[in-house]
Amino acid sequence: MKEHGPKEMIFKVRRYDPERDAKPHFDIFTVPVTRGITVLDALLYIKENLDSTLVFRTSCRMAICGSCGMLINKRPHLACHTQIEELKAKTVTVEPLPNLSVIKDLVVDLSPLFEKHKLVKPYIIRADTSEMDNPTAEFYQSPEELESFLQFTYCVKCGICISACPTSATDKQFLNPQALAQCYRYCADTRDDGEQERLLSVDSENGIWHCHLAGACSDACPKGVDPALAIQLLKRRLVARATNLAKKRKPAPTVTPPTYSKPKLPFPQFTVNDKTATVEG
Amino acid sequence: MKNTYLWLAQLVTGILIAVTLGIHMVWMHLDTILSALGIDATEPTSWASMIQRSRDIGWVVLYIFLLAFGLYHALYGLRNIIFESIQSRRIRLVVTWSILAFGILAFAWGTYVPIILLSK
Amino acid sequence: MKRMQPHKSNYLGILGWIWGGNYRIERYLYTLHRVTGLGILLFSLIHLCVTTFFRMQQDSWEAAMTILHNPWFKLGEYLVVIAFAYHSLNGLRLILQELGFGMGKPVPPIYPYRDSLRKSRRWSMALIGTAAVISLVFLYDFIVGG
Repeated sequence: MKEHGPKEMIFKVRRYDPERDAKPHFDIFTVPVTRGITVLDALLYIKENLDSTLVFRTSCRMAICGSCGMLINKRPHLACHTQIEELKAKTVTVEPLPNLSVIKDLVVDLSPLFEKHKLVKPYIIRADTSEMDNPTAEFYQSPEELESFLQFTYCVKCGICISACPTSATDKQFLNPQALAQCYRYCADTRDDGEQERLLSVDSENGIWHCHLAGACSDACPKGVDPALAIQLLKRRLVARATNLAKKRKPAPTVTPPTYSKPKLPFPQFTVNDKTATVEG
Repeated sequence: MKNTYLWLAQLVTGILIAVTLGIHMVWMHLDTILSALGIDATEPTSWASMIQRSRDIGWVVLYIFLLAFGLYHALYGLRNIIFESIQSRRIRLVVTWSILAFGILAFAWGTYVPIILLSK
Repeated sequence: MKRMQPHKSNYLGILGWIWGGNYRIERYLYTLHRVTGLGILLFSLIHLCVTTFFRMQQDSWEAAMTILHNPWFKLGEYLVVIAFAYHSLNGLRLILQELGFGMGKPVPPIYPYRDSLRKSRRWSMALIGTAAVISLVFLYDFIVGG
């Protein structure tokens, strides 16, 4: 849009109220838009000025909470993260995320996402439970070890990858891309020793082998998590285990933190108000 | 680990089919190019050519392997497609056993015929 | 709070395999892989029946071959050849990528995001191009050889 004044745009929003409607239908709204307006801004305008019964999820409005996932012009996006300009269309069609049941209007039922996420045990599992419960020291992890899984920690659990996945379109029991990527995130974490436990649910009939690398999950992910990469790396791990080629590694040991800590400011020690600290050099 | 092995077998049979079926496709369809290279593969669909290949142990072994790999790869793929559409455990069990039975029968029939011809 | 009854048909279903939305090409390479696989399976079952039932006597074999030398059947055969070329080369791509080869290492995401399939797109397209070249070679022989 070259002009800076307000312009109007047509929004087709899919509505469904299970208590009133037999099936979903589209409502059309005309929203004044200027440069920089996001789809979420437009939905909030509709709710405030045109139809207060419109229902959708929103929270942070800065693409970190994952609440506002929606199908916008036939592609899943976070509404707060989608500028009207980038859609390059005269009409904006907003629908709830597919492959998840609709509760009302644009709100979908995310409980399958959370249930399947729980199934892959998304937490560090180690044998030394006493250290886990009453920690005495840090677990050692080098920057390279961190980078081998850091990308997959950025998942915000928005459910967009499930909407993009073609297997999730038909297979309701499929451990969706989000859960599989998080399974890899924990298996690849050098502090973890729970791969054997997690793989029981992953190597099942509805597990990882129904993924056929369509790659739409990575294409659609709003945080660049690349779940497809995590899933293929997890397949590699499973195959390595099955063919006995897996590298056996022990989980990261503990490292006692240093007793002396240097002052963070570049001032000489005598300026730091800490009588127990000693000066180095 | 069972599902991992089944999936790995899918990959391995895929590669083996690419080789064996590739040979079959080249022989059957590229006869003009093969004859230009000096290999006599004229009229591969004729009775004479078919009988000649049926009596050659090399071709028979190739076809039996192709049938085995092809049946496994295709039926595992079909089973995956069906499993992605059907959630019921009972129906899935019926599908698995039916596919297994069909595969074994098809393999038995497919190998019986060329072996009978080989012995003529 | 009364639990709402979710509307079930928000799943895309089998049509969701064919077209799910405005995604990039690898999503539709998956669809084509599935379609070609099923096509080859169907052809193979018919081919197995034809080549086993009619091969006992020369007359029945030659009668079957005469019917199958019809141009429509030849076109169908050529489509199977193209399907095989595509399925095998895309399958090779899938074997390599699903075992983690050519997918690159995880890198912390910095906008604009380039996922691993986008990074290896050149190689994917090279393999699909090879399938196209093979199809053209077979086309030459179909036309010249008949």
